[in-house]
Amino acid sequence: MSWRDEVSAALAGGARFAGAWASGDVWRAAFVDGDGVRVLSCPAARAESIVDLVPAAGWDEREAHDLHGLAFPGRPLVDHTAPGWATPVTGDGVHEVAVGPIHAGVIESGHFRFHTVGDRVLVLDVRLFYKHRGLEAAARGRDVADGLAYAQRACAACAVANSVAYAQAVEDALGLAPDRDLRVARTLALELERLYNHLHDIGALCAGVGFAAGTMAFAALKERAQRLNARLCGHRFLFGTVRVGAGGLAVDEPAAARAEVRALRAEAAAGWRDLEFATSVQARLDGVGVLAPDDAVRLGATGPAARASGVRSDARSHAPRLWYGDFVPARPREETGDVAARLQVRAAELEATCELLDELLAAPVAAGRTRDDGSRGGAGARDAVLGRGAPSTRDSALGRGAPSAPDGALGRGAPSRDSSLGRGAGARDSGLAIGVGRVESPRGATLCAVEVAGGTVARLRLRTASYANWPAVAHAAAGCLLPDFPLINKSFELCYACVDR
Amino acid sequence: MYVLLRQLQAIRRAAGLRRDTPYSLAVRHVDAGSCNGCEHELGAASNPLYDLPRLGLDIVASPRHADILLVTGPVTTRMAGPLRTAYDAMPEPRLVAALGDCALGCNVLGAASELIGALEDVLPVDIRIPGCPPTPEQIADHLVRGIAAARGRVAANSARK
Repeated sequence: MSWRDEVSAALAGGARFAGAWASGDVWRAAFVDGDGVRVLSCPAARAESIVDLVPAAGWDEREAHDLHGLAFPGRPLVDHTAPGWATPVTGDGVHEVAVGPIHAGVIESGHFRFHTVGDRVLVLDVRLFYKHRGLEAAARGRDVADGLAYAQRACAACAVANSVAYAQAVEDALGLAPDRDLRVARTLALELERLYNHLHDIGALCAGVGFAAGTMAFAALKERAQRLNARLCGHRFLFGTVRVGAGGLAVDEPAAARAEVRALRAEAAAGWRDLEFATSVQARLDGVGVLAPDDAVRLGATGPAARASGVRSDARSHAPRLWYGDFVPARPREETGDVAARLQVRAAELEATCELLDELLAAPVAAGRTRDDGSRGGAGARDAVLGRGAPSTRDSALGRGAPSAPDGALGRGAPSRDSSLGRGAGARDSGLAIGVGRVESPRGATLCAVEVAGGTVARLRLRTASYANWPAVAHAAAGCLLPDFPLINKSFELCYACVDR
Repeated sequence: MYVLLRQLQAIRRAAGLRRDTPYSLAVRHVDAGSCNGCEHELGAASNPLYDLPRLGLDIVASPRHADILLVTGPVTTRMAGPLRTAYDAMPEPRLVAALGDCALGCNVLGAASELIGALEDVLPVDIRIPGCPPTPEQIADHLVRGIAAARGRVAANSARK
């Protein structure tokens, strides 16, 4: 079967694209299928473009072409090496407005090229990767425990989400499952991260409309949330709270933290009500930067941005490696897909996060640990993947030798691991195991895939929610007024750092 | 807006920040490949609980208006050019501050082929602000002390002339 046929079959079965990456001479794509993630592989030489089937794969393919030399026959590529490259836009009165890579405020580096007629944006070229540091390449060959630092340093604001996704991926590859305590501890860290991010994002949107009172009040609330982080773990961005196969953020005496979350919740709610009655803010939000539901799905948008457009999905709904219980994704008042709806989703999630933190901090939180989940053939197979002890057979290293744990119950990263690995040329090598972690960051679902061989990282791929959402920003900006772009941009509030890596 | 303003008033009273020793210097920030942590903390330095402007330090939009170039990140190959352009656009005398461990060249950085090196390899660094990321307090503190030291140097130079 050709690569396109395989992908088509997966899509026909209801699978949703979640990311693709080149690994040596193999090309892989991950699909969310039911409650798990399924990885398809093909030799790089057989790779074909699937952007017509899955527009969301556009950046993944371009990255594989630029960084790993893969060819995608039949897909025209914009020549990024040409001076002043641009999507050709012609016609009467079309002007180019170039912004960045250095922006006017304290903002990350990236370039936006607007093609406008008057004040109206026809097309927006988003040119990122000015901050590409080669973190994935640098992680290669590191011990799996040390590799976490590279996923975490991709982005401070998503540090916990990226680290948990990485830890889950490695644990998936090694056949380790977190116990209840560890699931609670990691969920706590993830929600603390969401708390300060959502407070920040609401303040940032106020800055986008020039409403200083809202900007400053929510900046102060964010500051208090970060001080709470520092009190709980010694770091304002929760660095160091996630480790591979080991305990998470423990809180022995949660009462003070719980009280602070309650206080923050009350003040944020009061501030939010005030924003709802601030006419100069509200007048700017409705009908601006609309992302239609079809486009959100087509472009692979995720997180608050997708939920604002009516895509009712949240990685927390299926997170057996975390502690979310019966999670219900937040919704805006109306799923209009505009700036107003994205802001409303954040406010609703802020409430839900405070509610969840209130539950999590009701009792002391223990660090927890991982245990063998039996899916990878036990300790012997793990030793083979880790490259220690007696050499084991390839089959047991890949988890074929042992009875597999129920996929649904453990939310295994790759339910169809056998068939997917069976196709991958690289995966046939002894002792290579692929693990996938998927976590809902403040900006949406982040996927981390780690290929482990000999106890080291053979390949790290971090596909963050921001990476998934940037094409949607460009789409939402088209047809809008150029002066509304800061507002549209802030309503998505994506990172550049975790896209560029 | 009343609730927000009342909250802000309470914050300002409770913070009790000192408002002496004004400096009046303009800072232009350039992200040369950071993880966004230093940006968050630099942004936080302007929140009501630190209030960087009370020290006379303002973040400005153009390097032409700036006295200090405040740089974050390990300097990627792609940002080295824009960084030099921003520096060249600044009027003299000018200062360069390295914000965070990455800019100081000592952190989990990335692949050598994608990086130029520490900020020091690209521009003359006057003020060093270590941390991953440095807290808003540390940023303000290092800037104030660094500026005072640089002032001393400038004064000594003019006295010699």
